[in-house]
Amino acid sequence: MIALEPVTVTSRRRRIPMPRWGGREGMAGWIILGVLVLVALLAPVLAPHSTEAIDGSRIFGAPDWSHPFGSDDLGRDVFSRVLYAYRASLSIAIGSVLLAMAVGIPIGLIAGYAGGWTDLVLMRAVDLLLAFPALLLAISLIAILGPGGLVALLAIAIIYVPIMARVVRSSVLVVRNQPYVLGARARGASHWAIVRGHVLPNAIGPALVQASVLMAFAIIIEAALSFLGLGAQPPTPELGLMLAEGNNYLTQAPWVEIFPGLAIALSVLAFNLIGDGLRRSFDPGQLAR
Amino acid sequence: MSAPLEKDGQEDGQKGGTVGAAVTASPTTASSTTASSTTASATAAPILAFDDVRVDYRGRSSTVSAVAGVSLELRAGETFGLVGESGCGKTTLSMAVMGLLPDRAQVSGEIRFRGEDLVTMPAGRRRRLRGDDVSMVFQDPATSLDATFPIGEQVAETIRAHRSVSRREARDRALQLLAEVGIPDPAARYSDPPHRLSGGMRQRVVIAAALANDPDLLLADEPTTALDVTIQAQILDLLAQLKQRHGMTMLLITHDLGVVAQICDRVGVMYAGQLVEVAPVDQLFAAPRHPYTRALLQALPSRAQRSGRLAVVEGQVPDLSEPPSGCRFKERCPHRMPVCDTTPAATPAGAGSVACWLETVDRATNVELAEQVGGAA
Amino acid sequence: MTARLAYVGRRILLTIPVLIATSIFVFLLIRLVPGDPVQTMLGIRATPDNVATVRAQLGLDKPLPEQYWTWITGVLHGDLGQDFISHEPITSLLGVSLPITLELTVLAMLLAVLVGVPLGVLAAVKGRWTRRISGGFVVAAISIPEFWLGIMLVLLFTGVLHLLPPNGWVPITQDVGLNITYMILPVLALALGQTAYLLRTTRAAMLGTAGEPYVAFLHAKGLRTRTVIYLHMLRNASGPIVTVAGIQFGVLLGGAIVVENLFALPGVGRMVVGAISNRNYVVVQGGVLVIATLFILVNLLTDIVHGLLDPRVEEAVAR
Repeated sequence: MIALEPVTVTSRRRRIPMPRWGGREGMAGWIILGVLVLVALLAPVLAPHSTEAIDGSRIFGAPDWSHPFGSDDLGRDVFSRVLYAYRASLSIAIGSVLLAMAVGIPIGLIAGYAGGWTDLVLMRAVDLLLAFPALLLAISLIAILGPGGLVALLAIAIIYVPIMARVVRSSVLVVRNQPYVLGARARGASHWAIVRGHVLPNAIGPALVQASVLMAFAIIIEAALSFLGLGAQPPTPELGLMLAEGNNYLTQAPWVEIFPGLAIALSVLAFNLIGDGLRRSFDPGQLAR
Repeated sequence: MSAPLEKDGQEDGQKGGTVGAAVTASPTTASSTTASSTTASATAAPILAFDDVRVDYRGRSSTVSAVAGVSLELRAGETFGLVGESGCGKTTLSMAVMGLLPDRAQVSGEIRFRGEDLVTMPAGRRRRLRGDDVSMVFQDPATSLDATFPIGEQVAETIRAHRSVSRREARDRALQLLAEVGIPDPAARYSDPPHRLSGGMRQRVVIAAALANDPDLLLADEPTTALDVTIQAQILDLLAQLKQRHGMTMLLITHDLGVVAQICDRVGVMYAGQLVEVAPVDQLFAAPRHPYTRALLQALPSRAQRSGRLAVVEGQVPDLSEPPSGCRFKERCPHRMPVCDTTPAATPAGAGSVACWLETVDRATNVELAEQVGGAA
Repeated sequence: MTARLAYVGRRILLTIPVLIATSIFVFLLIRLVPGDPVQTMLGIRATPDNVATVRAQLGLDKPLPEQYWTWITGVLHGDLGQDFISHEPITSLLGVSLPITLELTVLAMLLAVLVGVPLGVLAAVKGRWTRRISGGFVVAAISIPEFWLGIMLVLLFTGVLHLLPPNGWVPITQDVGLNITYMILPVLALALGQTAYLLRTTRAAMLGTAGEPYVAFLHAKGLRTRTVIYLHMLRNASGPIVTVAGIQFGVLLGGAIVVENLFALPGVGRMVVGAISNRNYVVVQGGVLVIATLFILVNLLTDIVHGLLDPRVEEAVAR
């Protein structure tokens, strides 16, 4: 889930390299993600039914034209609920990663650039957080703060901060001692100018690659937490929660389990494809294809 | 196209080469095949023979012609030096002998080891030749050993790959070999990983592994380049000694004319994939004939200097993805003539041969000849 | 050999501060609960007497360092406290649940290694199509959450094929065959993603070694391609593979929490999640401590294995 895969970019580009589409797969990822974001935004328009309308006549109703994903144990329309659930999934995934980037990137920059004791102290703290299995750490935090969607977002962000910091730090270390950075220092360039002009552009690629991979896992972690009853609470339409609720009626109404799961997998796939594409465009020499 | 052939086969070889050059760039012609068989009967059979060998690296957008029609014979027991700047195709040629070129490399022509063509040989049989009858020593001992394996085992496994011997016997033999190449206290070093050894010691291990099965032919690709100067001499001495003791033939690839002068019997000079001159060492140093060879020797600060490096010849090596037609040296050559757009054939010169139009064409008449050759095409 | 021992010793020493820090974090877990944790644990119906008793029991009335000292001394003596609902010692709860979690995760990792590594080698050495297919498999497999995969496996093997029980558990001491039967689906659900990761890592690591001169020299010595690939290249590629396997074991432990809940396996993960809903903090604490420690030890183990497989590592650490 949290495979640390630091990508080192050694090229000397002053401009922040713009992410390219990253080939056919990367493009596919962006398209899927674009559609899903649209779906989430337009859920109120697209959803054929209310997410909470209980319909006694449609308990475990099989998929049909007006209920393409069937109905659940309360007769609610699974399709409409999935559309709305994407709102929570995507915003928690994107939000947690953005939060982690906002905290982790500065930590990594400072640690890598300053070196010495600052680096040592920051990285020990980071290592400590990484010593926990990610989901266990999230669960521990939820144990303290209590369940809920926002808590899940926060917990995931906390898991991700050390990963982000590590990735950024390792790419900073690559550039820190490059002749052109040393030269800039010798010319008396300010620290901020060096960081902005040389260090950040080199760190941003790996950070973005990592971010997309982390978003993929954020979706899984968030769904897992909800599945365990530690994330979003009923009757919120949430993909993991829907899987938990439908699990007792699996053989009776498999659609209640199949479609939300597919929905999770599809969004995770989108982020993973984007991540692979970014990896390739930032680091074409890397052999991990 | 055609390159120097052996003395005895020269006439026929030259004919074949010239025809080939003038008509098309097609591979081996019948006559040059005959040439080599004639050679075989005339003197001792060559242990290794290249016959119009070409190697092309196919890329996505272009094809690089790394070796362009090399013909050459190695006599059993000699030490043959192959010199040239980096990128001239000498390493490609040796890897072609070993059959270790990447998939995108396309080899044509014949490479005959003891009369048997290696290019068309089945992969299994070829593997059995490698490390047994034909061995190779690589350039950088720091990277040519597996860092995760004990050095002794890297020698022993070579034996076990070719002989059905017990682990014990392979180990004993490996210890013997390590002692022979000058590793002090081999039994103690046997289990050491490579990084515990110095560069020179590692190269000795590489040599021990290469010699493990008493090969008849040893290819040594810049075996001393990556080493300190003092160590270089030791390794060269070791190679020369071992060559004598084991009665091997050695193909020594180098860009160092000093090394050539020190241990080689004959030399071949390569330029941009073509073999431009072949001669006994003394003759090459005393009377170089090809303009490129001459430039090389002039580039040496002092001919006597042992470790003179090449590459101080004016101009640039041509782009091998779009090689010039004819002689590939023509653009840097002070004697360029119109006829140079056609590949010169190998011409006998003393005890060697030279592939240069200067050898066959009188400057005054070269325009005329070029027209003739051009007309034939 | 001494260099190796030194490496192992050094690596073990480096683990100790991590273990201490982890224990402090876990210790603070209860203390960080907003409000009065004891009140929260016992609920509104708890009498002040009850609250005072439990508080004293947990030592919450003393200063923090003293509390930690008392707690960690207990932990080191095998006393993780008491479940205040069942009044059972946490250690005896873990005695049942930990082996289940271990069985689940170790089997899943074993399966992932046995399938993922050879497929990764194959994907690296075979042609473009193998590479493409394996690339597609990897991205698909890592995109499927293990709990949904588990649900779909149940649907297939229980709902449609009627081959396996949907969930439940039988102690291995009671009936090995039945125990394994119950383990099959959870292990499969857990292993797929890991298989994909190991495949990808193996493929990348093998491709990374393929261009090395020593590989050419191994071929030049006339070794069989099989020997070159499986003995030499794989051993050289083992560093990243072992490291990723170690990191992924943490993921596996996380995944096990979900999978245990899905398949009703009474492992540590199920114990912890159940305890969270009951606000049974002492149990949560014990479970988290055990899993975190396990992960740290697995990482230690992978580092040591890495060092043994690749002698360059010990040298790098010694410098």
